[in-house]
Amino acid sequence: MISSTIGIWNYWIVFCLMMIGLFLVIGRKNFLKKIVGLTIFQTSVFLLYITFGKIKGGTPPILNESIDSIYSNPLPHVLILTAIVVGVATTALGLSLVLKINKEYGSIEEDDISAQDLVDYHDDIETRKSVDLKFKQ
Amino acid sequence: MISELLINAFLVTIMLSIAIALIRTRTVIFTVILTSAYSLVAALMFITLDAVDVAFTEASVGAGISTILFLAAMAYLPKKEEESISSEFVPALSCIILGGILIWCSYDLPEIGQLTAPIHQHIAPEYIKGSKEDIGIPNIVTSVLASYRGYDTFGETIVVFTAGVAVLALLQKNPAKKNKSQPKQKIRENA
Repeated sequence: MISSTIGIWNYWIVFCLMMIGLFLVIGRKNFLKKIVGLTIFQTSVFLLYITFGKIKGGTPPILNESIDSIYSNPLPHVLILTAIVVGVATTALGLSLVLKINKEYGSIEEDDISAQDLVDYHDDIETRKSVDLKFKQ
Repeated sequence: MISELLINAFLVTIMLSIAIALIRTRTVIFTVILTSAYSLVAALMFITLDAVDVAFTEASVGAGISTILFLAAMAYLPKKEEESISSEFVPALSCIILGGILIWCSYDLPEIGQLTAPIHQHIAPEYIKGSKEDIGIPNIVTSVLASYRGYDTFGETIVVFTAGVAVLALLQKNPAKKNKSQPKQKIRENA
C-alpha cells in the first residue's frame, strides 16, 4: 500500500504543480507573475517526463563496462534537454514583451491596461464624432 | 530501492511548498528568488531520477540564465504586485477541477520505475544498444541528441535564433517612434 502510494505520489504532486502554474497564468493579473507561472508549468512537465523515464535500480544512461547494468530511458532526457533551452528562449521573449508593455502603458497589471485601452477607445470615438460634425458643417 | 523513491517524494514536496509560497507572495524580488530555488530543487530531482544531463542543464540554464533574465527585467518594472480587482474564484475552481481529473487519471499510469512500462519497450533499447556500435559515444543522451535526433536539435537552434531576433527587434531603441506615443500619454493624464 505504502509503496504503491509512493509509486504514484510523484505524479500527484507534479499534477498539483502544473495546476499551480496554470493558476498563476490565468488567475493572476500581473504579467511578470504570469511568466513565472509559465516557468513553473514547464518545469513540472519536465519532471513528469523524466519520471516516466526512470527505471528502478537503473543507472544514468552512460555506457559502462559491466554488462548487466540497466540504463534509465535516455529518450525523455533528450526531449527535455531541448525543451529547457526552448523554455528559456520563450521566457526571454515574454520578458521583453512585458518590458515593451510597461514602456507603453506605464503598468504591467492587466486591469490597469484594459482600463487605459477603454479610455483610449472612448477618446477615439469622441474624436471621430467631432471630425464628423466638422465635415457636416 | 524504496529510499530512492522516498527522497524523490520528499524533494517533490519541497517543490510544492515553494510553489505555494509563490502564489502567496506579492513582492517581485521574492518571486524571482523562489522561481530560482524551484529550478534548483527540480535539478536535484533530475539527479535522483538518473537524468544527469538534464540536471546540469536545468541548474545552469533554468536556475541560472532565466534568473538573470528575470532580475534584468525586474530593474525596469514595478517592484510590487497589485491586488487584483476581479475575483480569482473561477480560475482557481477550474484549476482544481482539472487537477482532480488528472489525479484521477494517474491511477492508470504505470508505477514509477517499472521496467515493463510501455515507454521502455519501444525504441529506447535500440538507442541504448546502438549507441556504442553506431556512434561510439558512451553518453547515450549525447548520441541521441546529436546523431539519431540531430534534426530535432537543428529545429531547436532555429527556435532559439528566432527568439533572439524577436527579442532584439522588441528591445531596440527607435527614436522615430518615441514621439508617437507621447500624445497617448497626455490623453491618459487628462482622463
